[in-house]
Order: sequence, then C-alpha cells, then structure tokens
Amino acid sequence: MLVPNEYRGPEVATARTRASAVFAADGPAVSPFELIEPSALAEAVGLLDPNDSSVRAAAGCTALMLMMKAGVLKPRRLVSLRRIEPRYCAIEREPRAIRLGAQVTLAQIERSAVVRAALPAVCRTLERLANVRVRNVACIGGNLAHADPHMDLPALLIALDAGLVVHGGAGVRTLAVAELITGYMETALAGDELIAEVHIPIHATRRAVYRKVTTRSADDWPALGIAIALDMNPDGTAADARVVVSAATDRPTRLGEVEALVCGARIDDALLGRAGDAAAEQALIGDQHGSAAYKRELLRVHLRRALREAASAPPAAMTS
Amino acid sequence: MSAPRDSEPQIGRSVLRKEARAKLTGRAPYVHNLVLPGMLYGKLARSPVAHGRIRHIDTAAARDHPGVHRVLTGEDMRALIPDPHYGPAFHDQPILALDKVRYAGEPVALVLAADPHVAEAAAQSIEVEYDELPAVYDEVEAMTSKAVVHETLKPAGTFPDLKHLAGKRDTNIALDFHLRRGDVAAAFGRAAHVFEHTFKTQQVLHVPLEPFVTVAEPGDGRLTIHTASQSPSFVRSEIARLLGWAENRVRVQVPFLGGGFGAKLYIKLEALVAAAALIVRCPVKVAASMEEQFYTLTKHAATLRIKSGVDANGRIIARACEVWWNGGAYADIGPRITQKSGFTAPGPYDIDNVAVDSYALYTNLPPAGALRGFGIPQLVWAYESHADMIARAIGMDPLEFRRKNILREGRPQATGTVMRDAALGEVLERLAQRMRWNEPFDRGSAALRRGRGIAIGFKASISPTTSVAIVTVNADASCTLLCGTVDMGQGSDTAMAQIVGEVLGVAAEQVSVVHPDTDVTPYDMATLGSRSTYHMGNAVRRAAEDARDKLLALAAELGLAPETTPIPDLFRHKYGMQAGNVIGMGSFVPAYTPTDHASGQSDNVTPFWMVGATGVEVVVDTETGHFEVTRLVNVADCGEAINPALVATQLSGGAIMQLGFSTSEQMLFRDGQVTNASLAEYKIPGMLDMPARIENEAVAGNERGGPFGAKGVGESGTFGVSPAIANAIEDAVGVRLSALPLTAEAVYRALRAKRGEPLEDA
Ligand SMILES: Cc1cc2nc3c(=O)[nH]c(=O)nc-3n(C[C@H](O)[C@H](O)[C@H](O)COP(=O)(O)OP(=O)(O)OC[C@H]3O[C@@H](n4cnc5c(N)ncnc54)[C@H](O)[C@@H]3O)c2cc1C
Repeated sequence: MLVPNEYRGPEVATARTRASAVFAADGPAVSPFELIEPSALAEAVGLLDPNDSSVRAAAGCTALMLMMKAGVLKPRRLVSLRRIEPRYCAIEREPRAIRLGAQVTLAQIERSAVVRAALPAVCRTLERLANVRVRNVACIGGNLAHADPHMDLPALLIALDAGLVVHGGAGVRTLAVAELITGYMETALAGDELIAEVHIPIHATRRAVYRKVTTRSADDWPALGIAIALDMNPDGTAADARVVVSAATDRPTRLGEVEALVCGARIDDALLGRAGDAAAEQALIGDQHGSAAYKRELLRVHLRRALREAASAPPAAMTS
Repeated sequence: MSAPRDSEPQIGRSVLRKEARAKLTGRAPYVHNLVLPGMLYGKLARSPVAHGRIRHIDTAAARDHPGVHRVLTGEDMRALIPDPHYGPAFHDQPILALDKVRYAGEPVALVLAADPHVAEAAAQSIEVEYDELPAVYDEVEAMTSKAVVHETLKPAGTFPDLKHLAGKRDTNIALDFHLRRGDVAAAFGRAAHVFEHTFKTQQVLHVPLEPFVTVAEPGDGRLTIHTASQSPSFVRSEIARLLGWAENRVRVQVPFLGGGFGAKLYIKLEALVAAAALIVRCPVKVAASMEEQFYTLTKHAATLRIKSGVDANGRIIARACEVWWNGGAYADIGPRITQKSGFTAPGPYDIDNVAVDSYALYTNLPPAGALRGFGIPQLVWAYESHADMIARAIGMDPLEFRRKNILREGRPQATGTVMRDAALGEVLERLAQRMRWNEPFDRGSAALRRGRGIAIGFKASISPTTSVAIVTVNADASCTLLCGTVDMGQGSDTAMAQIVGEVLGVAAEQVSVVHPDTDVTPYDMATLGSRSTYHMGNAVRRAAEDARDKLLALAAELGLAPETTPIPDLFRHKYGMQAGNVIGMGSFVPAYTPTDHASGQSDNVTPFWMVGATGVEVVVDTETGHFEVTRLVNVADCGEAINPALVATQLSGGAIMQLGFSTSEQMLFRDGQVTNASLAEYKIPGMLDMPARIENEAVAGNERGGPFGAKGVGESGTFGVSPAIANAIEDAVGVRLSALPLTAEAVYRALRAKRGEPLEDA
C-alpha cells in the first residue's frame, strides 16, 4: 500500500504527518527538495540519475506525496513531467490500439469517448479506482510505475496485452505491461527510464472485465482484483483467454492453468466450477483486507463470476 | 412579553444552522488556521514500546538540528509543574512520559521549531533507551495479570466514588461498579431457561476530520489557550490546578470544532502546549496528524458476559452482566463510563432480579474514553444480540419478546430509579411499524439472502453536571447568548438561539452566540453525553427568562405597557438614546442521588433517559459472506424536537458512525503497536457505503424537566445499529456473530463452520 502499514519502531514513532496533512494548515511535514519542471521528456530523462533513487519523476504526485509524508521517500530532486510535450497528455485512437501519453490523467481516460467505445472495461475500472480527486490528477505513467500490488489497472492492462514505450538514457525501448512489474513495488525500469506511452491493443471481438473486490469500505483498495480478457468463438467456446489476479499476490499474476482450462471450452457451470477451483490453487498473500484462506475463497467465487460476465459481455465493437 | 412578536414559535422549527454559510464558504474559524506572531511548532517523539522503563533519552541530535529552538522531555515538565499528571478521573497521565512508558505511541519528547518540518525531522532523531517490561493488552487478562500498568492508583478526588481507590497498589482495576437488585441466584434457579453468552467489541476511534490541535500564548502572568476542545471549563481548571494558578489567569478559547465525538474532552494537548509555551515564553502550537489521533484517544474494546433466566412465558426474570472495559494505559473518563453505563447494563427491560459487575481496566494500549454513547453501544451490542438469541431459542418472535419484557413508564429500572418520560414502548412500536415487521418479508434467493433485525437501547444521562448561561439583550432588541457549549458540528448554536428566541419572542436568526471563551462565557461542565440540550438548554432558558423578567420590570419602572412596548423603546426611555443592556443569567444543575456502593441502587440516577432503536435490512452474499445494509431505520425519543432537521441529522449521523464501528473500523495491533494508523488502512464508511434507504424518526415525546420538553439526542442513533445488523445477518443466513466488527470474512467463516467445513485459520 502507499502508506506502510507496519509500525516500524522509533522512526515511525515520531510525530509525523501522513495522508492527513492535507487537513493541516501547517502543511505536509516533508523535508526540502529540488523541484525541476523540464519542458521536454528527453530533458526529464537527462535530469534523472540512474544511481540515485532519491531522484524521482513526478506525475500527479498522489503516490509520491503519501510516501514523502510517511517518510518512506525523502527525495533529493523531483523531476516534474507536467510541462513536457503535449503529445504525452493526449489520447489517440490508432487503427489497432489506443495510445495514451504517460501524462494522461486517469479522469481523462475515464471520460474519453474513444476509450469507452473501444475499451469499456478500462473506463468501468476507473470509475471505482480511488476517488475523483485522485483520478483528476493521477497520470497513467505514474499509476503504472508505482507498482503497488493493490493497484487496479495493471491487472486489466496485462489482460489486454498492453505495452509501453519507455525512454531512457540508453534510448527508447518497448516493454509489455506484463513485464513492467517485477515484484512488490519494483519495476523493470532503470533509474533513468520513463514511461512515455501506453498502447492498449483493440480487437473488435475482445471481451474484457475487471472485478474489484473490497472487504472494508466500498472506496477501499482492493482485497482482490481479477481481470479477464477473452474471445468467444461462434460455437460458444472461449479463445485466447488472459486471466490475471492482483492485490492478493505481490504483483499481478497470470493464472496459466485457468487460461488453459478456458481456451476452447464452453463457459458452462461445470467449467466455471473447475476454473474457480484451479484459480484457488494459486498461492495468495493475506493482509489487513482478509486472510490468505479467505482470499482464496473469494478468488474461487469471483473468478467464476468474472468469467461468466466476460463470456456474456458484448464484444468491444458492439458497445458504443 | 414586551417584544413585538415578530417571529413564529421558535421551538419545533427547522432553523437553518447558523454557521452553515461560514462553513460552506470556508470562513468558519478553526484552531488549525490560527497563526500567531513568533509562534513555535511542536512535534512529538513517541514511544515505540508498549511498556518499558525509560533508561535514557538522548535529545542531543535533535537539539543540534539546525532550526530547532528547544527540546522538552518529562523532566522539563516536572521542573515547571511538581506533579505533571492530569486526568478527569485519575491524575495518572504525565504530560510527557516520566520514568516509564505505558503504551506504544505515548509522547516522550517535544521538539519546538519555527518550522514544523524542522521540528518533525528533529523529533525523529531523538533516541530513547527502554528496559522493556511485560505488557498486558487484553481486558480480561488485565484482571489478574502480573503485568501492572500503574504501580499505584491516583484518583483525582473529583469523584467521591473513586476515593476508596487512592493508593491501591498492584492492580489494573481502575474502578469496579456493582449493582444488585432482587435475588438473582434464586431467580436463575426457578427459570425455565437460562442463557449465557459472551460478546466482544473492538478498539476503534473517533477520527474527527480535524485532529487534535492547541495553541498556547503566554501573556503577562496569564496564559491564553486556543484549543479544539469539547470542555473549555475543564481545561481552564485543570491547567490552573497543574500550575497552581487562579482560574482567571488561564483563558481558554474554542472556535468551531471539526468534529469531536468525545475525543476532545478533558486534557488532550492542552497541558503539553501550555507548559511548553510557559517554558519557552512564546506562543506554541501543536497540531496532531491523522495518524497521531490513533495514539491519543480511542473507544473501549470490551468483553461482555450476559446471563439471563427466562420463565415459560418468555419473561426475563433474572439477568447477570459482567463487563470488562479495556481502558488502555490512562484512565481518561473510562471509570465514569464503567459506572454510568453500568446503570443500564441489563437493558431496557423490566427485570426484577439483576446483577451487574463492571470493571475499568488499565492495559498497555492507547487510552480509551468517551465516544458517542459513553459505553452504551457496547452494552446494547451485547444485550440486544442476546435478546434475539433468546427469542430464537424459545421460538418467540424477536419483536414479541421485546414487547413482553420492555420497561414501561413508571416502573423501576435496574438501579431502582423509576423510569419517567422515556418512550421505550412507543419507540419500539414505531420501529416495528416502519419495518412492517408483521408483514411477509422477501427473503431473496439462495445466493443473495435477505434478512432484517431490530435493536433498542437506552441511556442514563451523566449526572449531576452544571451549566451556566448569560443572555444579553441589546438596546436594539438583538440578543447575544454567552454559553460554553461547543458547537462541534451538532448544531448547538442554532438550538440554543432557538431557546432564547422562544422566550424573548425574537427569531433565532437574530440571536448571536458567543463561542466558548472562559474570560467571557460562564461555566459549563462540557459538551458531552448528549447533555447540552437539556442542561445548557435549561440554563439558557432561565437566562432568557431572567432577561425577560428584567425587561418587564424595566417597563413597570418606566410606566410603560409591558405587553406592547417594543424593546428598543424601553431602552430609549430609560437611557434617552439607543444605549444600555439588560443581562439575564441562568444556571442549572439537576438533582441526583449517588448510587449505593454495594448495591448500585439510587432513587434518582439520571435527569432524563435517552431512547434509541434501529432496524436494518441486509442482503448477504452466501458465497462470500459480503453483506450490504440496504435499509437503516432509526427511531428515538428526544422529547420535544427543538429543531427537527438537526434531530434527523443527529440520528443518521450517529447511526452511520456506528455502522463503521459495526462493519469496517478496527484498530489492529502487533505487540501493542497500531499497525493501521491511517485512513488508508482504517476504513471509515464512505458515501458508497451508505445504505440506500435511511429513515429517521423522533417519536412525539415530552421530557418534563427539559427546556420546552426537550432532551438530548446526539447519541441515540448509535445504540441499536450493531446488534440490529448482527440480528439481521442471523435472520438472513442463520449464523450468529458475537464479536465486532462484522466483517465479510467473519460472516463467511461462520457460514463455513455451520456447514461443518470450517475455513482454516488466517
Ligand atoms: C486516497 C488514494 C486512494 C487510492 N486508491 C486506489 C485504488 O483503489 N486503486 C488503485 O489502483 N490505486 C489507488 N490509488 C493509487 C493511485 O492510483 C496512484 O497514486 C496514482 O495512480 C499514481 O499516479 P500519479 O500520477 O499521482 O503518480 P506519482 O505519485 O506522481 O508517481 C508515482 C510513482 O511513479 C513514478 N513515475 C511517475 N511518472 C512516471 C513516468 N512517466 N515514468 C516512470 N515513472 C514515473 C514516480 O517517480 C513515483 O515513483 C489511490 C491513491 C490515493 C492517494
């Protein structure tokens, strides 16, 4: 989570302002740092330091500020991306993909008619992600780079085979979102690499769903996330399924066994039962949202529900 | 009266809240916004250890931190104040830890700097060495544990019934309250059925969106304290006591509060900030963060055992209750909660034979105190869960069982006090009607089961307590009310102005209310326990009547017609111009008979009874245990509703707050350390968690002792929520939960256990 949920001895035992500092007129308790606002992405890359993790890019700052207030991040320099080239703030419909600049806000995506038509599951997921204040400023680049295992979007983007364009000191490369998150809040990005663009493929026949399961309040982070994308053959069997679980694992994880069961099969009650049981074989992590044993049962049930929903969802091309 | 009656009756009018515009436009003053010239900010270093002796505090690094003005520890406090311990019931809480720490999060040192960020960074560099001591966290274990939180008990002396505890050693029991009525053992012997159940509640907290904040400003032999406090009069007298000063040298000012709910009572940051300001001789501000609220004051976790004997007709003939209150490391007002809630622990039923044993316990957890209900929601959770369990076991409808046993007007209650002006029966019946209890109910499908539940509770007011008010009538007939009630969001300014308006025949809108300032506003015990409408309301009414009588006398003196002369004319005739004032004063303290120490009996334990009942409908997902409260109905008796809109928002606000305590809120601990001290991990209900239907009703009531028949309502909405939900869950899916919070996982585990396939442990 953004805020460490461990009480870590004297360090955390001091009077410290956390998420709450937004309420205090005296401002957040953070130590001074350098803030630079370059006007080009290349310039931003140049301001990063591959060997110094206290030099950070800053997008919407929703995750950064919480880490700073919690004292887990004490940046020496923040490189703000808010003035980089306008193309990184744009959503574009390309023939076979939606292209999102890294600085596109989550609210922009949520309200985009183009995205809603081609990828309705993405918009629906955003509606229940954090809250409107966070979505208004958080950017897709920052969202993906944050790599908190409880994030909603990564699982769905992995199911949708989304890819990234990354700019770094060593040049430009592409990377699948599936390859981005390598562990608990760890990514495959080098210290001087920035996400520049996100590409989400669109297929007229693709059906996708994301299920956010919360156990405390409705606006909570997920206890469990399940993303599914698949095609339905004319004979009623499923094809090319991607099944990804998140929030109950240390990073979004594809459930290969479930995918194998689903591909070529008819989505009937028997299959749903087997798929749920296969999913429940995945090793899960318990946390303050629920024990591992409970999350396993949640996964068993919600995987069935998500699969049924995906199979009966209209393909993207039919939603307008 | 002589006022031109230019207004409608003021009582029973939903006057718009006086401060609504200021709040919505961001102009309402709060202590958080207060900045004084030359002010230093303080940040606390806190103990990471739950119980330990302080071997050494190394403040050198913090002192040397650039920009740090001063670092203070408990010894600095001791140099200023010989015995720097405070508390309303026990003088047990040190301003900063002395010799020992008793909970993880306890303040150990204060760093002062002109820049709060500097103070914060420096506070982190304070090194403290502790010799850890064995700790006790569980309230039942604390009864007998070898780990003792306080070596000696130090009752404050303010409460006569705590005096016998002075000097007691090696115990964690801060207070034991006992009540005996009838012959319980004999009645159990002849009961047709005997039921015994144990219930638990978890530790939660108030989470006002404005955390604790205090500014102290030293002056010429004086001290001004600006603080977000529910009890300015107490702050003044306690600070004066600590300093050995006369009360008039301490001035306490309180603007609006961003919520209080019982957290901001007595001393919180005030003693610390006052002492710091006197030591450094400049204004000091300490503003707690949201996280720090978790280390300041919480609501008691409790274990409640309740045993009932029922005759063949479903009448309860005997009841025994044992309650263990987890008070944390400092007593705060816990002993009072233990005692006052003990009066009604057997519930709103007519039971001839009752026994209550209620214990306030010290443990090594953050201190617990008052939270919207003063212990009553914990008790109702137990006795109303128990009521449904009994009804089901004897095959009686839960409503019918309650009807059969409910305490009726004029009958003695467990303490022996006769219950008057408490509409228990009417509240229960109105709830049943709103719930359409006698009509068929849609039970949903096998996967999504529906259920409904009800619960009713009552509360004795905290007594005896004093309120004083002053009403100033200006020469233009406008009125100013000076009263110490703190408007912390409940709308007291508006309700008090309505009372003044009603007496003097002016619109409530024309009455301005001066916020607590102990140099100006007279004494009030505190804004707590739903006492203000009744106590301060009576004082305000008397003050307004006194002013009215003086106006009438003035008219007589001037030979003017008392009934028709406009107020401004009185002043013009008297002073030759628009000048002068008429000042009315009123005070109120109700009668009270202390309970007998051995039997808990008294002929007058409370000036009024609060009654609240809640009904809920739930939908339970039988595959996951997830449930939703789809309908929440709150019915209360608040006497005459002075302002019906305020009454409705108090009921729904209380119920929603308790909904969070029932389902999602829970402080989690490891080795006594809170592991979820943030709103990201401690989840209060959000907008999306609101039941689709919320209904509130105040039954037609009349409290004879109250101002215009009114009494308190700030807590009534909380009483029945938790058991009503648990009862509805059982109604839906046949499982009974006996511990709060009622999480989806708990429901799921119970469903699995019922199927004989228990889910493995976490
Ligand atoms: C109250 C609250 C509730 C939330 N609830 C949810 C929830 O329910 N579900 C959910 O999924 N999320 C939730 N979040 C998390 C939220 O989605 C993230 O904080 C947000 O998406 C991060 O985006 P940002 O632009 O603010 O990133 P920033 O805070 O600016 O940056 C985050 C990280 O990404 C890095 N970074 C930023 N841009 C780039 C880039 N272009 N390339 C490489 N690295 C970059 C930064 O250096 C930093 O390490 C919640 C957050 C808050 C504050």
